[in-house]
Amino acid sequence: VHDLTEKAIDAAAGAGAGYADSRVVQRRAQLVATKNGEVDSVSDSETEGIGVRVLVDGAWGFAGDPRLSEEGARDAALRAVAFARASASRARTRVDLASIPPASGDYSAPVERDPVEVPLEEKIALCLRAEEGMRRPEVKITEATVRAMRETRVFRSSEGASVTQSFAECGAGIDALAVSDDGRVQNRSYPSAHGGSSAQTGWEFVEGLGLDREAPRVGEEAAALLTAPACPSGITTIVVDAEQMVLQVHESVGHPTELDRVYGTEAAYAGTSFLKPDDLGSLRYGSEHMNITADPTTPLGLGTFGWDDEGSPARRQPVVEAGVLTGYLASRETSALIGRDFGGSMRADNWSRMPLVRMTNLHLEPGTGTLDDLLADVDDGVYLCTNKSWSIDDKRLNFQFGTQIAWEIKKGKLGKMLRDPTYMGVTPEFWGRLDAVAGPEEWTMFGLTNCGKGQPGQHAHVSHGTSPGRFRDVQVGVRK
Amino acid sequence: VSRALDLAERAVKAAEGDQADASVHVESSGFARFADSAVHQPTLIRDETVTLRVVRDGRVGCATTNRTDDQGLAEAARHAAEAADSSPVDPGFAGLQEPAPAPTVEGYDEATAALTPEEQAEAAAEAIAGAPGLGLYGYYTSGVTEIGVASTTGLTASQAMTDVSVLTLAASEDSSGYAEATSWRASDLDPAAVAREAAEKAARTCGASEIQPQTFRAVLEPYAVSELLFYFAFTSLNALALLEGRSYLSGRLGEKLFDASFTLHDDGLDPRCYPKAFDMEGVPKARVLLVEEGVARDVVWDRRTAKQAGDGRVSTGHALAPPAQAFGPIPFNLAMAGGDAASVDELAERVGDGIYVTRLHYLGVVDPREGIITGMTRDGTFRIEGGKVTTPVVNLRFTTSFPALVAGLLGLTEGVTLVNRSDFYDERYPFGTLVPAVATDAFTVVGTGSGPGL
Repeated sequence: VHDLTEKAIDAAAGAGAGYADSRVVQRRAQLVATKNGEVDSVSDSETEGIGVRVLVDGAWGFAGDPRLSEEGARDAALRAVAFARASASRARTRVDLASIPPASGDYSAPVERDPVEVPLEEKIALCLRAEEGMRRPEVKITEATVRAMRETRVFRSSEGASVTQSFAECGAGIDALAVSDDGRVQNRSYPSAHGGSSAQTGWEFVEGLGLDREAPRVGEEAAALLTAPACPSGITTIVVDAEQMVLQVHESVGHPTELDRVYGTEAAYAGTSFLKPDDLGSLRYGSEHMNITADPTTPLGLGTFGWDDEGSPARRQPVVEAGVLTGYLASRETSALIGRDFGGSMRADNWSRMPLVRMTNLHLEPGTGTLDDLLADVDDGVYLCTNKSWSIDDKRLNFQFGTQIAWEIKKGKLGKMLRDPTYMGVTPEFWGRLDAVAGPEEWTMFGLTNCGKGQPGQHAHVSHGTSPGRFRDVQVGVRK
Repeated sequence: VSRALDLAERAVKAAEGDQADASVHVESSGFARFADSAVHQPTLIRDETVTLRVVRDGRVGCATTNRTDDQGLAEAARHAAEAADSSPVDPGFAGLQEPAPAPTVEGYDEATAALTPEEQAEAAAEAIAGAPGLGLYGYYTSGVTEIGVASTTGLTASQAMTDVSVLTLAASEDSSGYAEATSWRASDLDPAAVAREAAEKAARTCGASEIQPQTFRAVLEPYAVSELLFYFAFTSLNALALLEGRSYLSGRLGEKLFDASFTLHDDGLDPRCYPKAFDMEGVPKARVLLVEEGVARDVVWDRRTAKQAGDGRVSTGHALAPPAQAFGPIPFNLAMAGGDAASVDELAERVGDGIYVTRLHYLGVVDPREGIITGMTRDGTFRIEGGKVTTPVVNLRFTTSFPALVAGLLGLTEGVTLVNRSDFYDERYPFGTLVPAVATDAFTVVGTGSGPGL
């Protein structure tokens, strides 16, 4: 396939492209899902193809073709050039790319046990065992899923970049849905809602999740929520667990710091950002306890790589330091626009999609102390755990998030369980109310696979490491 | 024989099992995405995806591939067989669909299928030219999708579909307006007119002010109605959710739940929608009555949920491809009946005092069992005062009950609009909802957000 990437570049250059890059992606993915003690789905999917991105007279073009052949590579290149040329004739400005040294080398995810090669029987057995532990009379539906993926990406550019990267991902999750006799419904999940948690490594990650160990608690909590009182409305102190903090970081820090959103590229779909280019270095994003880092070098991260999908090298970059905006997630194009090299966040869902500015691994850096320390300084508040619902406005300012479960906090201790909690806020005001982040001992990384963006739509796999955090004076309550 | 059906038949022949079926997507599409009035991410996609399901001794396994040479299909057959052999017997499996004549439907247009990348870029340019003085953001896209299904039962079915959409957001720093149009015929669309609608709407949003959150009487344009309806449908008009007690309709079928003006079908045969002849198991489509004059009548079914329900239930033709069937059957052709209002202005008169909502953003289902949905309004939210649409307001956070919204209908426009619902993730599969604009007495706003504009 290395030859095909070169032939695509040659064809694009021969047709008039001033810049071209090509990516061959070959992916195999498995999904096992069980439900109520039976196999719900066992699937094994493969996809492969080549994507060619070009600049013609300063205008982009992209084409993807599933044929890993000379004909497929050439057709993709020529179609990309034709589309770019058709757009260039009406372009008002030219795209410039920040200069980077041509990338060269290999990257491989660290894998002890190849997750795709683990027998399907073993994956099914793990799911069924975990489900068994969640069973309660009130729990009407138990579900377990595991996923595994291997992927190779070969990238080449007309500037001389040439890299080969091999990725491996796997993950798992369990869910219990309890239904009361009068039709009320509650659910609990582990280790994370919306498909569990994944990491870029071998099967040892799934084995280490302890689905069997956590299953009884998940079932018990789902059942208990049916009779728990509703979370009361009001302005109070909240402590957000590490998993819900993932969602908080993702939606209210990750997306607004994507520089393509700042420049409006996503305005029609995902939205823009409340941030402006000039805010860099001066905008107060949150309190001094807020430190956010983009780090595509984090071991096990779903956003970990050697180079992004336009050949920029992985590197750790601060985004918010002591509450002040100090970085953006960017591409070569948006780095050129802002005049600073923040590149390294260009990622494509697959061979058939153009790379976009995406999160890699975006972390809330730990503070100090334990979760108990955070709770100890709360006279009256709620502890919110595990995302259930989320919505945020197009500038990433006004949000409403719901969690699966909460506990009241009274005089520094957890009290009774509460159902249907939600909380609302406005991003910088909310982060300004952060008065403590728990320390490294509470810091956990979660990998999610459902981040959507772009037209046509693209999924991104990203990780977030977080510790629980405490926020004062937050609007909490069930809103109907 | 279509390319999709040919691939499906080849895949079934390659299968190693007692029974097998295959569903195939073939896509060729172009996406002229634009931002700030310039084409920015033009994307051309060709792909073909084969999903093969095999049954071996009552065990079921699936494999998907886009490697469609003989070696690739053989590999997929081997993976599907391994998946089946690894699984216990599936007592919920309803067997494969027997041959059944699919209805003849419209939905394919030669001229749309023949659109070139240059013509797609030209259509985007027409839209951009329709909104001078403002930045235009959105896309013009068209594509051809072929679906083929084949089975060892002898079933064969294929359909080619075209789709075309133009989506526009006209915006400045402090104004934004939205409009879109979709069809399976490119000649139905006027990209410049769509952009003009967005620009005219944007011009009215400058100077937006705050409003006190409360439950409003409201007019919702078809864009907003479509999104709320589909989110509700995904979680409640789905037989799996019904059977599992997660649906708003669980235990409520046959009850008068909504206003008598609310009648809803899923109609794969309606040429005003994106017509579909069969689902991904090859079951023929039919017109399904979901809500009749406010009475909940039914949800949509696939073969698995029909078997689970028993009592003579049959699939209504709403299955996804096998690996995605864990979501349950999905109504991809929702068609809501119109009412007696001549225009949105007449709906505003019925509201008297309230708000006017063009479009919604980033919906989330807070409580599927009760049909509670949250999200934001954007790109054209206004006050209604004295029966007239007046001044702009900032974007509003709503957390509202969809059942209450349609129980409190004050009117619906006579005309209905097809609104695209595909965000074009994964394989292209055109679908949308056919909806009127509505007036309601129950749209609950719980907060305010930023103003319109970039």
